[in-house]
Amino acid sequence: MTSNPKELANLLNQTRSAPLVEQELGVVVGGSISKGLVVRLNHHTSPESLAVGRYVVVQGDLKRYFCMISDITLESTNPGIQADPPDITDDFLKQVYSGTMAYGKATVTPMLVIDENDQIGPVKSIPSHFTKVTTATQQDVSRVFGEESSTNFFVGSPLELLETQINLDLKRLIERSIGVFGKSGTGKSFLTRLVLAGIIHRGVGQTLIFDMHNDYGWQATSEGAASVKGLKQLFMDKVAVLTLDNDSAVKRNAKIDYVVQIGYHEIEPEDIALLKNAMGFTDTMVDAANTLARLWGKNWVQRALNASAEDVEMISEKTNIHTGTFDGLQRRLQRFLKWHFLSEAVVENSAERILHTIVDEQRSVVLEFGRYGNELGAYMFVANFLTRRIHNAYVDKIEKALGDGSPKPPNLVITIEEAHKFLEPQVARQTTFGVIARELRKYNVTLLVVDQRPSAIDDEVMSQIGTRITALLDNERDIAAVLNGVSGAASLREVLARLETKQQAIIMGHAVPMPVVIKPRTYDEAFYSSLVDARPRAANPVAALSGRPRAQL
Amino acid sequence: MSDDPRFVGRVLRASTRGFDCGNHSRKIDAQHDFGNYVCAPIANSDAVFAVGLIYKVEVKDDQLISELVLGGELPNAILNDQRNNRIIPVEVKVLNVGYMAYVNGERRCVHSLPPRPPMSLADVLACTEDEIYDFTIAFDFFRIVLQASEVPSDDLIAAAIQRAAEIDPDPDGRYRFLVNCGRRLAQDLSHDVKRLKHILSLIHPSMEA
Ligand SMILES: Nc1ncnc2c1ncn2[C@@H]1O[C@H](COP(=O)(O)OP(=O)(O)O)[C@@H](O)[C@H]1O
Ligand SMILES: [Mg+2]
Repeated sequence: MTSNPKELANLLNQTRSAPLVEQELGVVVGGSISKGLVVRLNHHTSPESLAVGRYVVVQGDLKRYFCMISDITLESTNPGIQADPPDITDDFLKQVYSGTMAYGKATVTPMLVIDENDQIGPVKSIPSHFTKVTTATQQDVSRVFGEESSTNFFVGSPLELLETQINLDLKRLIERSIGVFGKSGTGKSFLTRLVLAGIIHRGVGQTLIFDMHNDYGWQATSEGAASVKGLKQLFMDKVAVLTLDNDSAVKRNAKIDYVVQIGYHEIEPEDIALLKNAMGFTDTMVDAANTLARLWGKNWVQRALNASAEDVEMISEKTNIHTGTFDGLQRRLQRFLKWHFLSEAVVENSAERILHTIVDEQRSVVLEFGRYGNELGAYMFVANFLTRRIHNAYVDKIEKALGDGSPKPPNLVITIEEAHKFLEPQVARQTTFGVIARELRKYNVTLLVVDQRPSAIDDEVMSQIGTRITALLDNERDIAAVLNGVSGAASLREVLARLETKQQAIIMGHAVPMPVVIKPRTYDEAFYSSLVDARPRAANPVAALSGRPRAQL
Repeated sequence: MSDDPRFVGRVLRASTRGFDCGNHSRKIDAQHDFGNYVCAPIANSDAVFAVGLIYKVEVKDDQLISELVLGGELPNAILNDQRNNRIIPVEVKVLNVGYMAYVNGERRCVHSLPPRPPMSLADVLACTEDEIYDFTIAFDFFRIVLQASEVPSDDLIAAAIQRAAEIDPDPDGRYRFLVNCGRRLAQDLSHDVKRLKHILSLIHPSMEA
C-alpha cells in the first residue's frame, strides 16, 4: 500500500473531487475465452448507454482485445437493497448507489486481438483481471476493418460510431457465396442493392440478378420515400436490364435492354425437377418427363401438352409411364401456358445472350420478372433454367482456360430471392444452385442468396455461405441457422434478436475480420453521388459496343 | 492558557487509539465541536501529528457543583460567577483516525493509527482547513470510524464528513464531495443497508446548514 493517500486515492479513482463522468466503461472482473469476459461497469457508465452488439476494447498489457457486448446485467452487492430500494428520484442517492451497491455488468466476447506489433489475429488468450475496458475508437475500427479502397467498399457504420466506416472486402466477399437474411421489411433488398452496387462499382465481378420484385434494375420502391434509383440508373452501361414481362416494364416506364424469351423446345426434364415442391411435380412425373424427352426429343413439352389419343395410347404401350402419371404431368405443364415468356417460335437462346452480356460485354444483368415475380413456379423455373446453362458454360470456359490458358470469364455473383425454395434440403442436392453453393468458387460463380427463412436452407449449403449479412430475425430456428458454424455464436444470438426492425444488420464471416453490427448506409442521393466515379473507368472496348442493334427496346 | 482559536486543550490521557484532552469551560467553542478534526504531536517527534475526530465533550462536575445543583433556587450572581470565574474542567475525547507526517516540509496524510500516542500535556489543536482538505482527499479513514465500537460512529462519521464538506467554498465541489463520500460508504457498508441509509440521510446535501 502506498503511503501517500493522494496517490492511492488516484489509483482507486476515489478522490475528493473525482469527476462523476468519465470515458472508461469499466474493468474486467472475470470470464473465459469461451463464455466471454465479465466487465464490471463503472458507476458513471449507465447500462442504458450500452447496447448489445456494440464494440469495446480491452487494453491489456501487450494486446488490445476487440470485443462485442453480448449481454448486460444489473447486479447489487446486497440483496437487501432489493427489498428496500432507495429513492432514486433523489439525485444524491442515485449517484451514491449507482455503480456501488447497485452496478451493471456486461459480458463482452473477444472477437480479435491486435498484438504489440499491430497485427490482427484470432483470440487465443484473455486479458488479466481488472484490465480497463473502453469504447472502441474510430482508429480502432479503421485498423480492424481497413480503409475504403478499390476493393474495400463502405457499407455502413458501427452503431455507436456513426462517423466511422465499415468497409467490406469485396474480393473476399465474392470468393464465397453470400447470404442476406432478415424478416420481411427489414431491408434485405436495400442491403443487397448496396452490396451489388459495390461489386459493380468496384468492378470486382459481374452479377446476374433474378429480380423477383423489380427491386434492382430501374426505379425501385421505398416505403417512405417515393422511389430510389436502381442499378441501371446508377451505372448505366455497366448494367443491362432484361425483362420477362414487357407489359410491366412499359407500365413502369423502365428502361429495358431486351426481353427474355424461352422456347418450349429448350426445356429439359432437369429444368422441371427443381419445381417438385413449387409446382407439385412428383419424382415419377420427372421420370416420365425424362422418358418423354428421350421419346420425342426437343419438342417433348409441346407434344405432351397437345398429346392426342394415339400419343397417350402409345405412351402406355411403349413406356412404363402410367396414364395417371402422364395426366398429372400434363396438367402441371399446362400451367406453362400462362407464362407468356415461353414461346413456341424458335427464339434466340436467352442463356447464351445473357452469357454474352456478362462475359463479353462485361456488364451485370438484372432480369426483371414483372408480374411473374408473384408466381414462385415461374421464378424458380426461369432462374434455374438460365443458371443451369450459364453455370455449365462457365464450367466449360474455366476448364478450357485451365487447359489452354485462354482468359477466364469474370467472377459472377448470381442473386436469387426466396433462396430457400431453391436450396431446401429436398432440392438442394439436385439443383444447380445447390451445386454452385457447394463447389465454392472453383468456376468463378458464387451465389448471393436473399432469404427470410434461412432455417429452410439445406445445412450443407448454409455452411458454404461465406459471408452472412443478416438483419433482424425473430424465429429461433432462423437465428440458429444463420449462426451455425460462426464462432462466438452464443453472444451474437442476443445481438441478432435485438436488431432494429430496419436498417441494422450484422455482417459476419469471410469478408469481415470479425462480426460487426452496422447501420447500413442510407440509400439516397448522397450514396448515389458517392458512386460517381472519380477513378477513370477501365477502357473496355466491348462495353462501348453495348448498344447492340439487336437490343431494340 | 493559549488564546489561539485553534487551541482545543492539553492531553490528559493518550493511547495510539485516541486521546483525551482538557481545557476549562470558559474556552469552549467551535473548535470543540463534535466531529471536528484535531491534531497533536506524537511523543518525541515534532514532525508527526496524530489526527483524530472529537467524539465526546464532557463538562465535569465537582463537590461544589453537586451541592449547588441540589440546593434548589440559584441566584443569578452565583450562576454567573460559577460560569465565568470558576475553573470547571472540560474533557474532550478524540478518536485517532490517522496522522500527518512532515517530510522535507511536505505534508503526508496517512489513514492508519499513529505510531505513538501524544505525550501528556501536549497541545491539541484543531486542524486547519488546509489540513482537513488534505486529510480528506481520500476516504480510507472511514473504516476506522465505522469500526470503532467505543464511539457513536454513525453520527461521528456524518459529522466528520459534514465538517470536511463545509470547508469547500464551491457548492458544486461540496456536492461532489458528499456524493463521493456516499459512494465510499456504500462500498464499505454494502453488508448493512440500514446503517448506510441512516448515515446517508445524515450527510444528504439537503442537510447542509
Ligand atoms: N439502407 C437503407 N436506406 C434507406 N432506406 C432503407 C434502407 N434499408 C431499409 N430501408 C427502408 O426499409 C424498407 C424495407 O426495406 P426492404 O429492403 O424492401 O426490405 P425487405 O427486402 O427485407 O423486405 C425500404 O422500403 C426502405 O424504406
Ligand atoms: Mg425485399
